[in-house]
Amino acid sequence: MKILIIEDEQEIAQSIATYFKTNGVQCETAGNYTLALNKINNYDYDCILLDLMLPDGDGFDILKELKSKNKTEGVIIISAKENLDTRIEGFNLGADDFLTKPFHLSELLVRMQALIRRKNFQGNNTIVFNEISIDILSKTVTVNNQKLDLTKKEIDLLLFLIGNNNKVLSKGAIAEHLSGDMADMLDNHDFIYAHIKNLKKKLHASGSGDYIKTIYGLGYKWENE
Amino acid sequence: MSKKLLHKTTSSFLTFAIIILLIAAPAFYFITQWLYIYETDEVLHFHKGAFVKESYKDFTEKDIKAWNKYNHNVMIVRDMGITKDSIFGEMLFDSIANENEPFRVLYAPVTINGKRYTYTEKINLVEMEGMVINIAAMFLFIIIILLIGIIWISKKSAAKIWKPFYNTLHQIHDFEIDKNKPPHFIATEIDEFNQLNKSLEQLIEKNTAIYKNQREFIENAAHELQTPLALFQTKIDSLLQLELNEEQSDILSSLNNDVSRLNRLNKNLLLLSKIDNGNYVEKSAIILNEYIEKHLDFFTEQAEAKNIIISTEFTSTLSVTANPAFTEVLINNLFLNAIRHNEKNGRIIIRIKNNQLTFSNTGQSTSLVIDKLFNRFSKTNPSSQGNGLGLAIIKKIVEINQWEIHYTFENQLHNFSIRF
Repeated sequence: MKILIIEDEQEIAQSIATYFKTNGVQCETAGNYTLALNKINNYDYDCILLDLMLPDGDGFDILKELKSKNKTEGVIIISAKENLDTRIEGFNLGADDFLTKPFHLSELLVRMQALIRRKNFQGNNTIVFNEISIDILSKTVTVNNQKLDLTKKEIDLLLFLIGNNNKVLSKGAIAEHLSGDMADMLDNHDFIYAHIKNLKKKLHASGSGDYIKTIYGLGYKWENE
Repeated sequence: MSKKLLHKTTSSFLTFAIIILLIAAPAFYFITQWLYIYETDEVLHFHKGAFVKESYKDFTEKDIKAWNKYNHNVMIVRDMGITKDSIFGEMLFDSIANENEPFRVLYAPVTINGKRYTYTEKINLVEMEGMVINIAAMFLFIIIILLIGIIWISKKSAAKIWKPFYNTLHQIHDFEIDKNKPPHFIATEIDEFNQLNKSLEQLIEKNTAIYKNQREFIENAAHELQTPLALFQTKIDSLLQLELNEEQSDILSSLNNDVSRLNRLNKNLLLLSKIDNGNYVEKSAIILNEYIEKHLDFFTEQAEAKNIIISTEFTSTLSVTANPAFTEVLINNLFLNAIRHNEKNGRIIIRIKNNQLTFSNTGQSTSLVIDKLFNRFSKTNPSSQGNGLGLAIIKKIVEINQWEIHYTFENQLHNFSIRF
């Protein structure tokens, strides 16, 4: 899987690249508009992460360029400038998702995975991790072909954890992922403990491995035993 | 007590007029009286002079008798020892009116046929009294007409003159700096008012510019902070992936809390400036009952850590027409406040009655200080996790929609009510 990060803040681009690399995503970066256009014209990517404010151009123009060339890459806008107008304009110009800075790398990763799944849905919409398999469309989870009764939130949590395989996820990142728009207002992330506990219990009862590790003081991690 | 300017000038004007009138009326009376007496005396002297010049050359003693017989007012009497002409005011009996009346009487020495006599002439002053009263009445009448006229005219013209002033006053009263509508003063013919309007226009223009600047500054600052915050966040996320010992984990954990707190603060500031700048003006109808019920699970989840019991008492369906995003923020903030400032095993009661929504929660056992409650960054409990913007945001949203919010503390419950 190969993606392009168009972002003028080199350090953010680098952090994303490093984080994604261990989850099997190969990242290329472009720090300005010219370089970005160059790369888009010469290569194909599975996904493009696009910052709207570039030193020598406007991110929206890149969206227009992609559209005019009939490129089918999925685009996630990552921008510090967030208001309804930029959102609407972004979506109108063909962006698939919009993530406001600052964001959690874990959130960006699962959103990108979801986008890529949506883009190449050639038959297979199932995520498999060892004995666990999740059908995205029907929202069903099976362990060793036994259907597991999970709530919507628990499935969401499971997808988030598996998507960030081998990554330590802070409670804040999980809380924000689970509470969506409300996340900005939450000052207490303890509620995720109950969800983690329930998910662990259900997975364990179904005979699945114990993949959810508690990382002291920091959060949780999905890890192959 | 303050009065209207017009009232003030008119009343001092009236007081002056009354004082002048009070002084002038008796003075006028006495002067007229004096003048009349003076004129009467002149007449007496004149009559006597005429008598001396015309009549008395060939007067005989017999003539005196005849004269006195036919003349009532002018009499020639025996010498009374008068040496020179003298006039007195006397009360004499008037046979016609049948009562004592004031007279002016002239006594003058005359010599007829070598014999000394006294010439007397009296003039009744009753006529004078009537005349003086008539003149005084006329005078009063004229003055009153004059006064009424002057007051009426001054009132009329003052109302006309001051009209632009009241217009200006009215506009300034209605002016709100956060509404993008500068007052438009009407041009006047009065220089002072034009100056006033011009000064006000400049003052308002300047302050609006400063206010706008300030607002933009908050928005820009918050926006500019997003990028370094993003850097901060991504680096912490990267750091999380490293092998850390316990001490490092503790530090990272608290850093994590700090950055999310910063994020929240910044997002709230952005939200406030968005409301300030009038973004998201599109409106639609939202049924509050439905919204609350739909998100009850989420908030119940948030409240679980404190073991708070949430109950709803909806006695009517409340539908409001407003910006949906802001209205949701309003409800969420009220809800989270009720959780945040609650105590363990506390309660939250959400009531909808008629057009009023009330969040009641247990919490600290004393009433909150209302003065600064809705101010930005005002925190009742400095150590609390909140950033002091929650209620400011609530207030702002309430304000832009012209709703009303009230806080009360009753039966150990903190109540925030919004009337839509």
